[in-house]
Amino acid sequence: MIKRALRAVGLVRLVKYTAAVEQQKKAELRARKLAQQVEEVRADSRGWKAKAEEAHDQLKKAQATVAESAKRAERAEKLRVEAEHRLALDGKRKVDLVALETQLEESARELAFAREQLMAIEVKLDILEGAANVLDGRTRTVSAQRRTPEREPTV
Amino acid sequence: MTSEAGNSAPFLTIVVTGRNDDFGGDFNGRFIRALRFNHAQLSAAGVSHEFVFVEWAPIEKRPHLASVLREELRDLVGAELRSFVVDRAYHEALTLNPRLQFHEFIAKNVGIRRARGQFVLTTNTDIYLSRGVVNRLAAGTFETGVLYRAARHDLKAHIDVTWASWELLEDPRNCEIVNTIHPPCFTNASGDFLLLDTISYHRLRGFNEVYRTAKIHIDGNFCVKAHATGLILEDIGPPVYHVGRGTLHAQVGSYRENPGDAPWGDIRWKSDVVYVNTPGWGLGSAPERRLDSQSSFLEFDWNAIGPMVHLKGVVSPATRKEIA
Repeated sequence: MIKRALRAVGLVRLVKYTAAVEQQKKAELRARKLAQQVEEVRADSRGWKAKAEEAHDQLKKAQATVAESAKRAERAEKLRVEAEHRLALDGKRKVDLVALETQLEESARELAFAREQLMAIEVKLDILEGAANVLDGRTRTVSAQRRTPEREPTV
Repeated sequence: MTSEAGNSAPFLTIVVTGRNDDFGGDFNGRFIRALRFNHAQLSAAGVSHEFVFVEWAPIEKRPHLASVLREELRDLVGAELRSFVVDRAYHEALTLNPRLQFHEFIAKNVGIRRARGQFVLTTNTDIYLSRGVVNRLAAGTFETGVLYRAARHDLKAHIDVTWASWELLEDPRNCEIVNTIHPPCFTNASGDFLLLDTISYHRLRGFNEVYRTAKIHIDGNFCVKAHATGLILEDIGPPVYHVGRGTLHAQVGSYRENPGDAPWGDIRWKSDVVYVNTPGWGLGSAPERRLDSQSSFLEFDWNAIGPMVHLKGVVSPATRKEIA
C-alpha cells in the first residue's frame, strides 16, 4: 500500500532509483557510443564519397585518354595509309625519274650530236664561202684582162 | 745535222717552215739562233736528227731563205738540213682566204710527208728545246701512237739570246708567262711542239688541208683529230722556250672588232671539227726539182693538189670512227 502511495506521488525506493540512474548512465553511454559510431560511419561515408568522386574523376580521365588514344590511333592509321600512298607514289616517281634521266642523257647526246653537225655545217659553209670569194676574184681578174685589149685602139 | 749513221734514217726529224720575209722582225736571225742552239744540244746529247725546212710561197726578188740557211750554217759540218722550196703558185691555188699569206700548216705537211726520221717534231723556227726535252729525246723512250706535247714558256721579249744557254732559258726571272696545257687535247700553243711517230703522222695525214680559210687553230685542230682518232695525247713534262709572246699575241687586239679581217683568218672558226685530207696531202705528188745537195724546189702542178672544195673531208661525229 505504501509502495503504491509512494509511486503515486512519484517516489521510488532508493534501490530502484539507483538502478534507474545506473541504467540511465548506461543508456547515455551507449547513446554516446552510438553517436560516436554514427560519427565514425559518417566520416567513413565522407571518405568513401571522396574516393568515389576521385574514382569517378579518374574514370573520366581514363575515358578521355581512351578517346584521345582512339583519335591518335585513327590519325596514325590515316598517316599510315597516306604514307603507303606516298611510298607508292615515290616508287612510281623513282621509275619516272629513271626514265627522265635516261631521256635526259639521250637528249644530251642528241644535242651534242646536233651541235657537232652544226659545227661541221658551219665549217663547210666557211669553205664554200671562201671558195666562192676566191673564184669571184679570179673571174674578175680574168674578165678585166679580157676587156683591156678591146679598149686599146687597134693599129 | 746528220744522223750518226750517215744516210740511214735519223731518230728525229724537226719540221719548221718560213720564208725570207722578215716576219715578226729579224725572222732569219731568230730562226738561225734557235736552230743552232737546238742542233748543238741534240748533237751533244747524241740524238740523231735532221731538220726539214719548208719555204712556203717564197718572196719574189729575194733570195730563198733555204739558200740563206745553207750559207749561214756552213759551219755545221756534217749536219743535215734539207730544204723544200714550194712554188708560190701552190699557195695561190690552195688558199681560200686572200688575207692569208702563209699556209704554215700545209707547209709543215710538206715537211712531214718528206721526213725520214722515226719520229717527227713539228715546231716553229724560234723555239728553243729545253734540257728536259733533249734528255727525253736522248732517252728515246717514246711510244708510237702517242702525240707528245710540251708547254711553251714565253721569255721576256728583251732577253738577249745571241748566246742562248739553258741557264739563261731556265732562269725564272726571265720567264714572262707559261702557256699551260691541259688534257685531253693539250691544244694551247700546240704548233710549237707536236711530237709523234712518223707512221702515225702519215696515218692522220697531217694537219688540216680541207679548211683553208684560216691558219689559226689548225695546230689545236690536229690535236682534236688525234684525240678523236684514238691516239693518246701526253704532256712530255719539260717545256720549250720562246722569246717574247709572239706575233699573234702582239696583233690579236687589232682584230678584236673584225676577227674575219685578221691575217691568220677568223679566230672564231669551229676548230673542234674533224677532217680527212685527200691522199695527196702535203703536196705528196708535187714534182721536185733539185736546187742543190740540200734543197729541192716543188714545181707547181695542178695534179698535185686536191679539189678546191672537199666537203667530204669535213667529218661528222657519226663517221669519226672511220677516220682511223
